[in-house]
Amino acid sequence: MNAKRIFAMMLMLSLVMVLGAGCAKKTTDSMPSSATKVEISDKDTDWQKSAPAPESRSLTEDEIRAQQREQAQREVGNVIYFAFDSFELTPESRDVLTSKAETLKKYSLFNIVIEGHCDERGTSEYNLALGERRAKASQQFLNQLGIATERMTIVSYGKERPADQGHTEAAWAKNRRDEFMIQN
Amino acid sequence: MKLKIWILTLLLLLASGDTLNAAQTLSVDIFGPGQTRVNILVLPARGVGGASATALARNFGEYVQGDLGFLPFLRLAYLNEVLGGDPSRGVKSDDIDFKPLQMGRIDLVMTIGGSGQDIEARVYETFTRKLLVGKAYSQVGADGVAHVADRFCAQLMRVLTGKSGFFDSTLAFSKRVGGGKELFTASALGRELTQITRDGGYNVSPSWSKDGRQVAYTNISDRGHRLGLWDRGRRFSRLRKFAGDVVISPTFTPDGKIAVALSMGGHPDIYLLDADFKVSQPLAPSWAISVSPSFDLSGRKMVFCSGRLGGPQIFLLNRDTGVVERVTYEGTYNTRPSLSPDGRFVVFARMTGDGHRIFIRDLVANQERQISFGPGSDEDPSFDPDGYFVSFSSTRGGGAKIYVTTRYGDAAKLIPTGPGDAMAPAWGVATALD
Repeated sequence: MNAKRIFAMMLMLSLVMVLGAGCAKKTTDSMPSSATKVEISDKDTDWQKSAPAPESRSLTEDEIRAQQREQAQREVGNVIYFAFDSFELTPESRDVLTSKAETLKKYSLFNIVIEGHCDERGTSEYNLALGERRAKASQQFLNQLGIATERMTIVSYGKERPADQGHTEAAWAKNRRDEFMIQN
Repeated sequence: MKLKIWILTLLLLLASGDTLNAAQTLSVDIFGPGQTRVNILVLPARGVGGASATALARNFGEYVQGDLGFLPFLRLAYLNEVLGGDPSRGVKSDDIDFKPLQMGRIDLVMTIGGSGQDIEARVYETFTRKLLVGKAYSQVGADGVAHVADRFCAQLMRVLTGKSGFFDSTLAFSKRVGGGKELFTASALGRELTQITRDGGYNVSPSWSKDGRQVAYTNISDRGHRLGLWDRGRRFSRLRKFAGDVVISPTFTPDGKIAVALSMGGHPDIYLLDADFKVSQPLAPSWAISVSPSFDLSGRKMVFCSGRLGGPQIFLLNRDTGVVERVTYEGTYNTRPSLSPDGRFVVFARMTGDGHRIFIRDLVANQERQISFGPGSDEDPSFDPDGYFVSFSSTRGGGAKIYVTTRYGDAAKLIPTGPGDAMAPAWGVATALD
């Protein structure tokens, strides 16, 4: 609120200065007759009202970036899934990854983290290795589509972070996955 | 917690000579083909001169019985198995009528005496009437009585079997804290529970150095995998990043190096790190996943889990010859092996239709058998320093908890670790933190 008020005050001051300069030169005698005459009035103006509202100001660079980041996250956020003890990409996963590659080309400033996850049926250490293979499968596929490997970081969580806490095949299927996060 | 007690481990008069003789009389071969079972009766605690027992002595007796319950080669007998009830008038051999004990097939009898903050404990062999173990402890505080009971049972186990690693070890394990996991230590009986790391993220796969001074582990966070190293002396942990994307299953070798699965060549292989954490050539490399190394006491044999032939199976590397041998043929998913210190036995987790179960393979006799039976899933088996007990984590009670069985598959006992899931127990020779 304070920031808004200060912003409005500064705007007001600068307008006063501009108009003040105008007021100093009231006569336009030296101007050619064809020139448009400017009527200058000294009457009071409600500066507060005419100053543009702070809300309508244009977005800062950071805000634009945050918006883009959000948009990019929405576009790359789709999860891909795997079969048990497998890191093979299904045809559906390849389609999803292809559209992610387009997004990453569009938002070339952003890097991503690829998280590899497993279901609870495997044991923890082997799952950490399997999670890496899953994340790597996506990384390699995206790399083939022209995304630099340096833009993609891999983190394998194994079975530490299930998306679904259940103990059914449906839950396990949701947990064998790669997740994609915009990093910066 | 600092124990505020002075334990005088005074061997009672005549005890040393008798212990030696008695040990020759009765010993338990816990590594023999058929496990013998010895009946032990713990008599009710007594006061001095006919006085009733102190609460401290009674407590001591309860802790001892709890401890002995972890030793499957002992069976706790009940007083009603003895004709005529309590056959003792005091705590020494002259005060005990051994005949009804012998008739009741009680092999060992324990007496407890206490006055004030002093406790005396003796175990006699009933058939020879000889003293096996006799100890006196003075200035025992209420908070130290469990520790004293543990020390007495360690001595009894040592006299009976020649081993006491179970009581002398500290377990390090991973435990759920908030949304992540941190490392804790506790004695094998669940005492002295202490949180040792506060790194954030997930701390998993702890492994003790053989001197008990360090614990290596994996830290997983949004910054990736890092090798954690906790220093017991400084009570301090630090994290180290490596090239590649993973740091999995760091394990100390007997000579103080760390073997760890790193992904230097596109998939996890097992590498040895030198003292400066420099990575050397991989051990038993392949095109597929290799994780979970475990060494025998010589450090020349290494078992590990690898997907080099398809699904995960257990393999054995002879580091002298470089030969890699497949260990498991049954089942399609065998993981997380632990090699016994003598290099003869491998315990591992096998996926069955009912979840994972712990199996043991005798590498000499080429025989395999199941030693854990669920329900739920039994994972992360680990041999104790004697190669007799096997700890593992199990979801049999709902959440994951730590249990201990033996290599013979004796009934599993829960090791109390407080609320919250606990897993990946690792044995260290160090005594519990004080």
